[in-house]
Amino acid sequence: MRFKRVQWLWLSGAALVLAGCSPSVSDEQRGNGEGTIELAEFPDRPYWGDTHLHTDQSIDAFGFGVRLGPEEALRFASGEELTATGGVTAKLARPLDFLVIADHSDGFNSMRTLYDAPRMLIRDETLLRWYDMMHESPEQSLRATGEIISGAAAGTLPQAMTERTGDPEALRDRWEAHLAILDRYNKPGKFTAFAGYEWTLMPSGNNLHRVVMFRDGMDRTAKVLPLDGVGDWPVERLWDHMEAYERDTGGQVLAIPHNSNLSNGLMFELTMPDGGPMTAEYARRRAAWEPVVEATQIKGDSESHPFLSPNDEFASFGDPGWDIGNLDVSLASEPQMHFGSYIREALKRGLSLEEQLGANPYAFGMIGSTDSHTAFATGDEDNFFGKHTGNEPNYEDRALVAQNLGTREGRFGWHYLAGGYAAAWARGNTRAEIFDAFKRREVYATTGPRMTVRIFGGFDFTEADWDGDWVREGYSRGVPMGGELSDRGDAPTFLISALKDPDGANLDRAQVVKGWIDASGELQERIYDVVWSDMNTRTRRSGKVPAVGDTVDRETATYTNDIGTAELRSVWTDPDYREGQRAVYYVRVLEIPTPRWTLFDAVRFGIEITEDALADAVAQERAYSSPIWLKPAPPAIMEAQ
Amino acid sequence: MKLPEWTREPLVHFLAAGVLIFVLFGLRGAEVDPASRTIEIDREQQAQIALMFERTMSRSPTDAELDAQIERFVRDEVLYREALRLGLDQGDAVVRRRMAQKMDILASSRAETASPGEALLRSWYQDHSERFASEARYSFDQLWFTEEAAARTAAGQLGSTNEWQSLGQSISLPGSADAMPRAEVADRFGSLFLENLEQLETGDQWHGPVASGLGWHLVRLSARELGEVPPFETVASDVEDDWRTSTVAARKEEAYQILRDAYRVKIDE
Repeated sequence: MRFKRVQWLWLSGAALVLAGCSPSVSDEQRGNGEGTIELAEFPDRPYWGDTHLHTDQSIDAFGFGVRLGPEEALRFASGEELTATGGVTAKLARPLDFLVIADHSDGFNSMRTLYDAPRMLIRDETLLRWYDMMHESPEQSLRATGEIISGAAAGTLPQAMTERTGDPEALRDRWEAHLAILDRYNKPGKFTAFAGYEWTLMPSGNNLHRVVMFRDGMDRTAKVLPLDGVGDWPVERLWDHMEAYERDTGGQVLAIPHNSNLSNGLMFELTMPDGGPMTAEYARRRAAWEPVVEATQIKGDSESHPFLSPNDEFASFGDPGWDIGNLDVSLASEPQMHFGSYIREALKRGLSLEEQLGANPYAFGMIGSTDSHTAFATGDEDNFFGKHTGNEPNYEDRALVAQNLGTREGRFGWHYLAGGYAAAWARGNTRAEIFDAFKRREVYATTGPRMTVRIFGGFDFTEADWDGDWVREGYSRGVPMGGELSDRGDAPTFLISALKDPDGANLDRAQVVKGWIDASGELQERIYDVVWSDMNTRTRRSGKVPAVGDTVDRETATYTNDIGTAELRSVWTDPDYREGQRAVYYVRVLEIPTPRWTLFDAVRFGIEITEDALADAVAQERAYSSPIWLKPAPPAIMEAQ
Repeated sequence: MKLPEWTREPLVHFLAAGVLIFVLFGLRGAEVDPASRTIEIDREQQAQIALMFERTMSRSPTDAELDAQIERFVRDEVLYREALRLGLDQGDAVVRRRMAQKMDILASSRAETASPGEALLRSWYQDHSERFASEARYSFDQLWFTEEAAARTAAGQLGSTNEWQSLGQSISLPGSADAMPRAEVADRFGSLFLENLEQLETGDQWHGPVASGLGWHLVRLSARELGEVPPFETVASDVEDDWRTSTVAARKEEAYQILRDAYRVKIDE
């Protein structure tokens, strides 16, 4: 027995020396980055990132086979060449500016620990079975993961796997080791590494997941533990936990809901989660803790749905396959559920809730991210590494088979998107600057391409503003995306500017999506084509701007930039404004059609994809700006005027 | 007598010390013998068991709970020893792999903790200086055009006006960049523009039309600062970081090779 102890001492001694050896990390890297770099006067450019990346610390990602951890994820995102678990070597052509590693809090790094644990120390029979399956073969490892996800959804995971009943000290060790790596790779001005985790709330398989993102370095984040999410919790439990963090440490934290498209209508309800009338307190807290929603990612796009927006011919992007049911398709989706599952409807619902309650629970901005489980933050169509390691680019038929969720029900590989990115308008690349951009909603979503989208809302913008320093004017005479305008009796006017991804496809059009409450109290929406390429020749036909065309060669998966334009600009005034109207406006920018990853796969592997898949293999990638809200003027100010 | 190379390896000393400890404890008494029929749970061991309970439940165990935990520990120990006695650890693929993994971790953690020493780091710094160089920066003015012909026309007019800014079309890109880092140029103007910019000569001369993913540009490159390599002292920790991540696989393999070299392997044809 003593021999055993000595041996362990030996091992832990080696680990200690290892920790002590890690190269020194400067104070600038450790904190929130305030005062570390020179900042621009205004946010001068979008910074690109992924707020939703999984590594081998996530139970499911590990089970799917990934053996790359946070360090590899950070090195890859910041531009280094790495070899994926499946053996393909890759490097991002354009590195990212920031990254949130959002591993699941439930069983945070426990699969790795379980995998590495001495077998005889595992007491739980279920864990032991999974342990043996994980060591037996990749197929068995996948099967074990399937069981673990189902167990998580059903709330039947072994106690030892969750923080609540597991060993908090062990979790603390794993969390601190993770935070230390983040600080080491956090380089103010160059690359920002955020602490975070995914809170996996999932009643009956309905997806209510949130990514939690911290503004701070290890000096503060080490004072909390990631909160376990699986279970029958009210979402307020997360907000309480976040509030306690801010109170106890003086730090800041926010949460980003995602995959509302898999929530069966529960993500954006009109009521409290228990069905009772929503309280103002709930609405206020939700808006305060969840200022941004992830609109697009690998598991589909949640911006809009054709059932809700029959007049929007671009509403169905990223919907097929995903709209048939919840996360694991344990419950099918009824069309009526879509109202609570898609973002455009939520933004509208928020207006009516605000009218009733005085607070808008759904006053959020939009971002895109990957939700990749490969440790590789790849968001583009031509670098899709799969949802997880079992579908990295060395698996030829990945477009045809299921990636993991809901095969029998008809959800296939080709339904998966390549993933999106988050763009943040900030004055510099630090934790504080990027986080604050999220907090004030000056962020936007793209489905992968890096187009530059900028909008300002005000009341007196004119075409002449483009000739001068329009960004300065935008900030001084209006509000940027994410801002609020107070009604003053005349129609709001918007400066809208979209520049193509310089390494990508041309732009087709920019649209304003408006939601409002009409005079009879009904929620309305309308999509305005504001500016598009070749406006002189592409004139409206029966009220619609004709399609831009399609240059994609299906045989070679190539396209040309002979159609579309490099930049779109417009000053747009709302033609349907009515005084006192509550409204929300956001901008959607469409690229010309380009190949999706499925077409690249079909050409590269020379495989025949199904007719459905082929019809979906070319798409118009897009960006969604965060909204600008128009609110009735507060009564006190009306009197003063 | 000249000792073989491997005897000078720190890892070998490390492992030898381990064997020595094992032998010492082995000679000292029966308690380490898995085949022994005596199981002794001393105070220290009991405290360990109580601590495990406390970490899980966030409170101390009651006496009854502690007894139950000890009984469970004894039960596992009895079964473990009986299993060893029956040789159940033999021929079990999972046990075999597990032991191999533990040894691998032990050997490679030695590789992980290896201290490179300043001399080695300095030579690493010399050999890979480009990795520690600061980023190249560019200072330039640019005009943008959708059509190449328009850019050519404007190029002809540049000589006759001081207000060069008014010659280009309007676009949401800076007309002038002051020491813009290479990555930012690539991000905002695209990789094709950067590629072309790198070919230009610096000076007051306008160049172009220069192609980019956005259209056509006229460019005046006033300065190109190549990334300089800072002195070793200021980047020492980066150098160590880089050495560590770049060589860890090789050092692990080396650690294995030392063990492997002590074996003679015969594989029948």
